[in-house]
Amino acid sequence: MISLSSYLFISFTLFVAGIAVMIARKNIIAMMLGIELILNSAALNFAAYTRFINNNLEGHLMSLFIIVIAAAEAAVGLAIVIRFFQIKETIHIDDAAQLQS
Amino acid sequence: MEYTISTIAPIVLLPFFAFVINAFIVKRFTTLAVIISCASIVGSFFYAARVFFDFLNVFSADYYIHKTFTWFDLSYGSFPFKMDMGIYIDNMTATMLFMVTGVASLIHIFSTYYMHDDKRYGRFFVYLSLFTSAMLALVLSENLISVFIFWELMGFCSYSLIGFYYEKEGAGNASMKAFMTTRVGDVFFLLGILAIWSVVGSVSFVDIYQAIGMGKFNGLYALGIPLATFAGFSVFMGTIGKSAQFPLQVWLPDAMFGPTPCSALIHAATMVAAGVYLSLRCYPLMEAGHLTTFIAYIGGITAFGAATIALVQTDIKAVLAYSTISQLGYMVLGVGVGSYNAAFMHLITHAVFKACLFLSAGSVIHSLHDHHTHAHVQEMPRMGGLKSKMPYTFLAMLFCTLAIAGIPFFSGFVSKDRILGDALLMALDNKVYWVPAVLGFGGALLTAFYMFRMMFLTFFGEPRDKELFDHTKKETLSWNRNLPLLILSLFTLGAFYSGSLTGQGFIKVAGEKYEWFQTLIEKPNLLKFNNKESQAFGFASNPSSETFQKSKYDSNHGLSAEKAHHVHHVHHIGALISIVIAFSGVFIAAMMYFWRSWNPGFWVSLFSRWYRALQNKYYFDDLYIKGFIQKGLLPLNNFLAFVDMGIYDRYAVDGWEKVNRVMFTMAKWFDNIIVDTVAVDGTGASVRFFNVILRTIQSGKIQFYFIMIILVLTGYIWTLNI
Repeated sequence: MISLSSYLFISFTLFVAGIAVMIARKNIIAMMLGIELILNSAALNFAAYTRFINNNLEGHLMSLFIIVIAAAEAAVGLAIVIRFFQIKETIHIDDAAQLQS
Repeated sequence: MEYTISTIAPIVLLPFFAFVINAFIVKRFTTLAVIISCASIVGSFFYAARVFFDFLNVFSADYYIHKTFTWFDLSYGSFPFKMDMGIYIDNMTATMLFMVTGVASLIHIFSTYYMHDDKRYGRFFVYLSLFTSAMLALVLSENLISVFIFWELMGFCSYSLIGFYYEKEGAGNASMKAFMTTRVGDVFFLLGILAIWSVVGSVSFVDIYQAIGMGKFNGLYALGIPLATFAGFSVFMGTIGKSAQFPLQVWLPDAMFGPTPCSALIHAATMVAAGVYLSLRCYPLMEAGHLTTFIAYIGGITAFGAATIALVQTDIKAVLAYSTISQLGYMVLGVGVGSYNAAFMHLITHAVFKACLFLSAGSVIHSLHDHHTHAHVQEMPRMGGLKSKMPYTFLAMLFCTLAIAGIPFFSGFVSKDRILGDALLMALDNKVYWVPAVLGFGGALLTAFYMFRMMFLTFFGEPRDKELFDHTKKETLSWNRNLPLLILSLFTLGAFYSGSLTGQGFIKVAGEKYEWFQTLIEKPNLLKFNNKESQAFGFASNPSSETFQKSKYDSNHGLSAEKAHHVHHVHHIGALISIVIAFSGVFIAAMMYFWRSWNPGFWVSLFSRWYRALQNKYYFDDLYIKGFIQKGLLPLNNFLAFVDMGIYDRYAVDGWEKVNRVMFTMAKWFDNIIVDTVAVDGTGASVRFFNVILRTIQSGKIQFYFIMIILVLTGYIWTLNI
């Protein structure tokens, strides 16, 4: 029997990996991949907790929401990236620093 | 008519609104302003006539209407401080209202003739309206404070009317003199009001009568003087100032600097009448203060002294002015000898004939126009023989002169004779009263003399200034010149005041005839005086049969038959003496100025020192100017100026400047160091300092922000766990 802690461990691993990607990579698309990993870890957490504690479908429902939000976020993020690339001809994150005084 | 404050108010408010409206429109619509003034006073006259005849219908001596409303109420705990305003109408008030509005209406109408060519034609009517409304309000007042308010308002109006020709030399000084002299009396009057308030707790006439009747003044002393005497004296000082009695008479002769109709108003209906009216109103107080002897002396001295000065005046208005002072002296003498009724009667009759005399004098002066100086002539040495030029004015003036001289069948005889009769009666009782009585009879002789001297000099004989006489137009009848004179001279007949010529009255009650004046006007009966808020109107609630018993002349006034007989006897003797005196005065005047058998110059040279004294008005002006003002008030003034400039200004004001300088230095230091450097600049510096630290956080590196977020969240969760 796979216990809750195993799910949580995998979720934690995904989360840390996502954070690491977000911090380490300078490529905006790679950073968005990191965000997807973080969202997925959260979705996994929901599913796991609802399965082992409440044993109903609320967590699953929430996971579905998260997937939809992730898709929408990816669409918006990619659109920003494309626009950014058209202006700057690069997708290096450090070039997006106009707000710095 | 139901008598309430609002139904009585139009008597005062009509002239007052005329004043308010005219004050705004007088510059552009002069004629309209004049019409408004005249119409309002005539309307007021009809109102007053209504009141007067209603009171005549009731025909009861102690009937009165008293209505009040609270002006302000500052009572605190047991300390009463409440002021009422309202109306107090008894027979005296009603008669005064009738007289004031009537005389004032006629003066208004005459003014449209006299002032028509004046460049300040409209403004004169503005003042007249205010003056009349102030007098009416004073007459209606139910307490001393409101009397005082309108008293002062009249003082202001007389000030502006006397100084009406302010470009004329002396007019400004005369108006100032009138105002300041009456102020002297007013200060005492105010003191008297305060004294009364301290005892009675109210200044309403009704409360005062009641308090005197209950003996509230008994045993109260201020500085060793009985409080009733103090209060009565102070109030009487107000009368002395306003009615130009002996020590303060100096202002009235100078009041002739004003236009002649305004002199008529001041000398007859309003200003000087107010003083006597006040002392009549406060008569119980004078009696309670044992002031009657003093008052009689003041009245006698004034009546005689002013008459002597009038002997030598050459200005026609000056003669009339001094005769006013003299006649006011008679009224005060009447108050002093206790002939309340006769004093008030003389006030009314004098108002009528003096207004007529002044208007006639105005008519004469207005016609005499000097073509060299372009001024009106009022010097009698330049007149003479004017009878043929102005027959109607002459007739009116003759009637009034007969009245003032005390010729039988004229009003002046009726009233003056009764005052003198009472004075004689008092003198027989008490030797102290001989002086005022003799002065009164002597004054009557002089009055007859100088009034007829004026008549003879003005209207009879040869014209002394031929050129002036030839330039004078013959009088043609015109309504606004002759109608007022006609009406006023008609009312100089004694029958209007004393009933019919046979001594029986016009008014018939229960089959008997009564003289209305003597029956209606009575001293307030203090014992019966209870403060009734209002009395129902009419016979039924006020049984008049009872009140007739108290009338002095119709019944025996509570005296025994023997005593009453004595009173009648003395009055007959007094009347006989009066008649003899009056005719001998007229005879002497005729001998000197009509037949010219006696040379006046001989008498002048015989009494040359007295003549000079009379021409200088007994040196009263010199005494006041050189004595009081230059010796007393001017040094005081200089001393006060020294205190003000040398001490207050130098030490207090300039010293305060030094204090301010020190405080200014301190404030400047505080401002510079604390406020500016520390607070204002310090804020900026701290912002700059923290800016240096905080700006390093905003690096523009998104991943750095992200790390910060992670760290903060981690730290947050970590602290939650602990």
